[in-house]
Amino acid sequence: MVKYTIKRLLQTLVTVLIVATIVFLLMRMLPTDYFFTEDQLMKLTPEQKQEQLEAAGLTDPVGEQLIRFYGQILRFDFGESRRIQSGVDVVKVIGSKFTVSMRLGCTALVISLFVGVFIDIIQTINKDKLLDHIGTGYTIFVNAVPSLVSYSLVLVFGSTVLGLPSLYSTRNPGPSSILPVVCLSLASIAHYALWTRRYMVDELNKDYIKLARVKGMSFNSIMVKHVFKNAFVPLVQYIPTSFLYTIGGSLLVERFFSVPGMGPLLNDAIIRYDVNVVQTLAIIYGTMGTVGVFLGDVLMMLLDPRIKLVGKGETR
Amino acid sequence: MKKNNDDLFRFVEYSAEAAERTGYSDYSYWKSVFQNFLKKKSAVVMAFIFFGLVIFSFIALAIGKYDYAELLTDSALAFQAPNGEFWFGTDNLGRDYWCQVWFAAQTSIKLAIIVALGECFVGVTIGCLWGYVRVLDRPLTEIYNVINNIPMIIYMTLIALLIGQSFTVMAISLICFGWLPMARNVRNLVLMYRDREYNLASRCLGTPVWRVLVKNILPYLISIIILRLALSIPSTIALESTLSYLGLGLGIDTPSLGILLRNARNYFLDYPYLLIFPAVIVSLITITFYLVGNAFSDAADPRNHV
Repeated sequence: MVKYTIKRLLQTLVTVLIVATIVFLLMRMLPTDYFFTEDQLMKLTPEQKQEQLEAAGLTDPVGEQLIRFYGQILRFDFGESRRIQSGVDVVKVIGSKFTVSMRLGCTALVISLFVGVFIDIIQTINKDKLLDHIGTGYTIFVNAVPSLVSYSLVLVFGSTVLGLPSLYSTRNPGPSSILPVVCLSLASIAHYALWTRRYMVDELNKDYIKLARVKGMSFNSIMVKHVFKNAFVPLVQYIPTSFLYTIGGSLLVERFFSVPGMGPLLNDAIIRYDVNVVQTLAIIYGTMGTVGVFLGDVLMMLLDPRIKLVGKGETR
Repeated sequence: MKKNNDDLFRFVEYSAEAAERTGYSDYSYWKSVFQNFLKKKSAVVMAFIFFGLVIFSFIALAIGKYDYAELLTDSALAFQAPNGEFWFGTDNLGRDYWCQVWFAAQTSIKLAIIVALGECFVGVTIGCLWGYVRVLDRPLTEIYNVINNIPMIIYMTLIALLIGQSFTVMAISLICFGWLPMARNVRNLVLMYRDREYNLASRCLGTPVWRVLVKNILPYLISIIILRLALSIPSTIALESTLSYLGLGLGIDTPSLGILLRNARNYFLDYPYLLIFPAVIVSLITITFYLVGNAFSDAADPRNHV
């Protein structure tokens, strides 16, 4: 197990390094004009521009820059932001945004887990009855309708009928984060409900359930003791990834409600040629993706001792 | 013990015609796919609604009072509620909303179909090779991991900045990143089938790789491919609207769902019709297509055939 963990973590490290390198190279493909603000572009002479670029080390050969970049990563020095917040440490810039995203994301995650599983249990109990069809209708709606449209509907309903604020504001984060959280949970509720339902229905048709019924166990205790426990195992796999992605924030939701979170940061940083911010974010996102999958596997194994990861690497 | 009743066991005379009949089956794959599909009345209705909407989007543009190419901005006419002259009202610049909405619906459908077909073609080709040719497994897995772990926003922003924004660029770049899940799915399925005995036999007999893939393995995958294809149309429409809303998708002058909603974002709290018309039309298109796709892929699964 320890050996397996170390191997997986090393693999993660390699993937993240490759991702960082590619993002680094991609960023160097941008014309250096984006380095300057529009004002500077007009006012500065070509010599002055050249000077500034040289001072930032952007005119050196790419190989040299890359080596310097690796050195920085090894020292965990991610540099300073240049245009998002001039001269502030990248870690600080990201840190301030990250708490906002994470608070919204975690609330949404908890809500969607509970509501999703709850909806699903109701659906499974009322299989093929009205409530089941309503639940299915909801999942189809969320999956098929573009999220932009459903967010807009939530926004219009929330702000005209319920009178909730339509934009996020840092001064009263409580009420103004209701709509973003609802939007964030909308899709994942459907996701959890859909998958739990599928696993639960699969599980309900198994022989051991019949045996339990024959033994005279009540339906409720079968649901709680057997079905739910077993159906939850495959779901657990996705929880770490979704949790880690809450840190990343949702670009669309945060743009839509003007939340000052992580989501739009990446896009802004690229447009403004804030190389350090982009690279750090790429490393964060890459790590989140790979570590999330790994944690999911481990969690699944802890919950279900039948699953073994060590021998799994060989696929026939 | 009962006595044997000789009447019950008689030899039947050989009849060439009867023998022929038992050996003959008029099973045809696509025919039973359609038969199964037509049995589901709700799916057929959905299919009618979908095609009706697509056809109507052309009619709507023709019967509309304004032509998209000749739309004028006239601030005096801004925010007219729907009326006899402007069937869907006007937007913030006083342009007719009817023709914008239908034009956007068409753009979205066109893009979605092109992207879905492209994704499917690239995804299936690469997925088959990835699963079947063992040498390619490692490199393709690595490529998959790397592309998949870099946020799509980076690519899309860079493409928007370096190449520009247009319908073609958008379609190509969506295909370039959309084939990944399809290829992965196909690869996992190919891995399941590649070492079955009949494929082993084919390999021993010297059948070329492409033939094994196309004739032996691909037929098993058709229902999954159709399902993916069907689901990727609604999701491409969603992705297009998201990206365009963020300013990374289609250009601002190409009307599409994302652009319309982006323009309307600041106004639709006061003028809800700016949201409702495009939302209802696009939702109808995606929901009907989603349901039709699900039903069709059920029908395409040979295990559900008689």
